[in-house]
Amino acid sequence: MSEVAVTTTQADVPLTGFVGQVLERLGDSVLEVQKCVQLRGIARIEPARTVEVAEKMLAMPGCRLATATGIEVRDGIDVLYHWIIERSAAGEAAVADQPAGVVITLKVLAARPELALDSIANAVPAANWIEREMHDLLGANFRNHPDMRRLILDDSWPEGVHPLRKDFDQVADRPPLPPNQSPPDVESTNCTKENNKGQVRGTLPTGGRDKK
Amino acid sequence: MALKMWALRKSLWVYHVNTGACNNCDIEVLELLTPRYDIERFGMMLVGSPRHADVLAVTGVCTRQAMPRLQEVYMQTAKPCVVLAVGACACGQGIFTEAYHMGPTVDEAIKAVDPNAIIMYVPGCSPKPEAMIDATVKAMELLKTL
Repeated sequence: MSEVAVTTTQADVPLTGFVGQVLERLGDSVLEVQKCVQLRGIARIEPARTVEVAEKMLAMPGCRLATATGIEVRDGIDVLYHWIIERSAAGEAAVADQPAGVVITLKVLAARPELALDSIANAVPAANWIEREMHDLLGANFRNHPDMRRLILDDSWPEGVHPLRKDFDQVADRPPLPPNQSPPDVESTNCTKENNKGQVRGTLPTGGRDKK
Repeated sequence: MALKMWALRKSLWVYHVNTGACNNCDIEVLELLTPRYDIERFGMMLVGSPRHADVLAVTGVCTRQAMPRLQEVYMQTAKPCVVLAVGACACGQGIFTEAYHMGPTVDEAIKAVDPNAIIMYVPGCSPKPEAMIDATVKAMELLKTL
């Protein structure tokens, strides 16, 4: 069934030049080609074949994963893998007319409600940390990720709260601040003046900007 | 006490804490050490441990992750200790005030562990080295009154 979809959508954006050759090599795992110009290609790929596509991309000469980005959309979370294809170190292009500095973005949708997709970190180690970051900030669930620990949010941040979701208010939905360190003894603070000696010390209320 | 304060004013040692700066202020702090500004003529130097420090130069917004660390570093310093909040982010929270990862401001975080903390504010994005020299000289003047 995807064959039909591919032919109809690919007809909208003709596969031309070097980028077209690369996207053609991915075959019917490409669901839709959104852009195909000299240095830039954007395509949506089938979520079930994410790992297979990543392996194919990595096997191409001069191809590396630059980074990945995520964005919450209506149907779930779009994960965009940005691949850069450069000429090899020897200066030889893989294809005769390969331009320098091609960026190809492959989109994978992690559909609601699971928001899950296959991790490519086992095939492409460069994707390890960026997938952890997307898990922290957006709540995308990567299946078979080798090491899904918290990466970027602070230690006191509650589980299951994702600050880059559309429904997260940057100020009102902030979790409470971590506790203060316990204050030291009186001798070790700035009490050099006599009149400060008897001052009651305690923990000031912090986080004046917390709305909750 | 008099001898100790005399010695302290003679050589303020600075420990540089980055609590989430964009590195612009950090570059300006390092600029202080270059021959052009040469802050060591005032007896100051950057040291590698808060236990050797008399001044904490704090750059950057205090993020949630940095807040307990900043408080710990402050408590490790010998007192009296002057906190220099360097730059707009450390003085207030700058442009990051409505971001999800913000902790309290630097002065709130320090005052939570020591209400009598001496905090000096050096505004600017980033502050000129002259402004920081001015603040440290004022800190020396302030230490005379303790």
